[in-house]
Amino acid sequence: MTKAPLLDPFAVFGVEHRLDLEEHALERRYLQLSRELHPDRNRAIGAADCAAVLLRAAEVNDAWRVLRDPWERARALSHILAPGILEQHKSLDPDFLLDAIDLAEQVTLCEPNAVANLQGRIKQQADAIFATLQKAFAAGDHALAAQQIHQSKYLRKALADLETRS
Amino acid sequence: MTDAVQQPRLVIGIDLGTTNSLCAIRTGKGARVLRDRDSEPLIPSMVCFHPDGRKIVGREAKALRLTFPDRTVFSVKRLIGRAGEEVDAETKILPYPVHQGERGLARVRIGNDDWSPEQISALILRKVKSTAEQALGQEITAAVITVPAWFDDGQRQATKDAAALAGLECLRMINEPTAASLAYGIDGSKNGTVLVYDLGGGTFDVSILRIDDGVFRVLATVGDTHLGGDDFDRLLGDRILAAIGADARNPYVLQAVRAAAESLKCELSTKPNANLQLDLQGKQSSFSVTRVEFEAMIAPLVQRTLECCRRALKDAKLTAAQIDEVVLVGGSTRVPLVRQRLYQATGRQPNTGVDPDLAVALGAAIQADVLAGNDKSLLLLDVIPLSLGLETLGGAMQKIVLRNSTIPTSAAEEFSTAVDGQTSVALNIYQGERELVRDCRMLGSLTLAGLPPLPAGLPRIAVTFLVDADGVLRINAQEKRTGQEASILVVPSFGLTRDEVRRMMFESIEHAHADILARESIDLRNKAQSMVKGTKKALEQSDLPPDQTFAVQKSVKALEKLLAALTPVDLAVLKLATEELSKLTVTIADDVISSAVQKALAEEQREGKV
Repeated sequence: MTKAPLLDPFAVFGVEHRLDLEEHALERRYLQLSRELHPDRNRAIGAADCAAVLLRAAEVNDAWRVLRDPWERARALSHILAPGILEQHKSLDPDFLLDAIDLAEQVTLCEPNAVANLQGRIKQQADAIFATLQKAFAAGDHALAAQQIHQSKYLRKALADLETRS
Repeated sequence: MTDAVQQPRLVIGIDLGTTNSLCAIRTGKGARVLRDRDSEPLIPSMVCFHPDGRKIVGREAKALRLTFPDRTVFSVKRLIGRAGEEVDAETKILPYPVHQGERGLARVRIGNDDWSPEQISALILRKVKSTAEQALGQEITAAVITVPAWFDDGQRQATKDAAALAGLECLRMINEPTAASLAYGIDGSKNGTVLVYDLGGGTFDVSILRIDDGVFRVLATVGDTHLGGDDFDRLLGDRILAAIGADARNPYVLQAVRAAAESLKCELSTKPNANLQLDLQGKQSSFSVTRVEFEAMIAPLVQRTLECCRRALKDAKLTAAQIDEVVLVGGSTRVPLVRQRLYQATGRQPNTGVDPDLAVALGAAIQADVLAGNDKSLLLLDVIPLSLGLETLGGAMQKIVLRNSTIPTSAAEEFSTAVDGQTSVALNIYQGERELVRDCRMLGSLTLAGLPPLPAGLPRIAVTFLVDADGVLRINAQEKRTGQEASILVVPSFGLTRDEVRRMMFESIEHAHADILARESIDLRNKAQSMVKGTKKALEQSDLPPDQTFAVQKSVKALEKLLAALTPVDLAVLKLATEELSKLTVTIADDVISSAVQKALAEEQREGKV
């Protein structure tokens, strides 16, 4: 079972292929598209028409889900600008891998009163990675961008695990 | 994408509740609840299968629940779209007989007949429909029906089927808390974040919504399909049973205690203590309870609702401080402990501006108006409450659509074959949040057949999962290498198969005929009985010649015999006997009247007034 190719969420929203997009503007665009394309506003006549209306509305919702999350947005952007590059750069820097294993351990052993502190530290690391990611996309260095995206997964997983424990 | 000319038609909103159902309509700006002839808005969601064959719905059924406890069905919403162990759990607490039928599906046994929850819900919907028609003076064929946000695909599909059985086109199913938020005067002009706390008779839901210029967007919804006011009643009922030492196995006792508990609960919402006198099969007992005791009983349940609120906030990535308004829905939010705890948890005084019993129906009416094309300023964006996924190797759950995804939503996956020349692939579809499919609910299995016979791994089957605006799953599959559409066969594990729905629709038409016959038979019996009584009295007063008297007496006797018969009497025979007597009595009537006139005349003459 493999994921079927994604639709281009940037195209659905009619915005540029770039990482830095203003979130408020994206949200306004989402609400506007929903008003135009939601099935409630487009009572379909025939069955085929009905499916088309549904699919179009689903595209808007699915694109919004990707675009609103900067990391998902980055992944989609990499996929569109440099197809296949994410698969090519799967192997991580051994040092980073050691750090990631260490981090997972810290999360597991974290005392409840230390959760907030650890969360803060991981968020800082994530922010640093995102800054590198922004620079990489701006410079057209898609290999570097792909590496950052892969690295961010470990940090985001750690944050999610901490979230369920709080 | 058309903006076709809409026929101006009335679409109602229906709140199909666990304990009560009701409907509302919006014409112009305001929505209003539709009431029956006695101007009652609430229709108890109860159906009494009367031994005489009638199916009585609503208040009359509620009145009969103590007379026919094993034939009066309530809380059927707890059974709809459910099967297996879930049914067993309900069987223990319901006084009418429920068992697992075909495929483990819930069936209610009345006499020798099995009824599906869909059929029983359809009877309730039919009653709601006729109440609306009588209030509006026109036929209603379409509705927006609300369901608990936490309802899964099976329960939603079953509710849709019930609507079809009742002759209603379900234009849209919307989640109850979402509907309520529409009703709350939150007319879309005020932007903000709202927490809707909906504690009904049998279900609990909490939803967090964001309102931006008329767009109502659900950010997160969390709930518990088995938590509600019924559970409060049951805890109180158990206490009563223990205190008076009554037989908990007896359905009469159970229904009576349940009814008593419900009224005690309501009393405790306004008073610090309440007591009752119970007359159970001639045995008098009394019971009293304080609000403090009641609150101690229900505190763990209330706590469970607050945990749901916390989870919803977390899913919406918000803190309690970011909530602008807290809205209460459902009759059970009248319980003071609920309001108090919610205030403590959110730091906001709950908004109680709309009657919590009516809010959901009013909101559904507003959405109905929107769908009828009359209001373009509002838009609801709802979410799917539970993740959808597929079984993968080792029984793991591979999530394809995540919970709290805005609907409609779609996801595409590609599949291939494992064996050379394989022409079909089977997929099992599940709904739930757990990691293993055995902890999730199986929605059905899907077979992709008619694949071209190719070496293993070569076929590329693209399967699209589309969740529509009702939160119901639709599946589409195509083999990409050959472009061949794979045929899909979905066998639902819950609810009804398409064939069953068709059969039941047909049967409901047949039953409609049987219902009319049953009704006719009752009317005729009543008529015959009063005729026997009247004729006997008239015979005493009249001076008919002996031969005529004898003929009438003979006819009365024949009719009496038919009425007293223990076996069901053919309607036609009864009709014939009644008509026969009716013909004969015309002469007595004449005679009685003329003799009365003569008598009166004679008396007046005697008094010398003429």
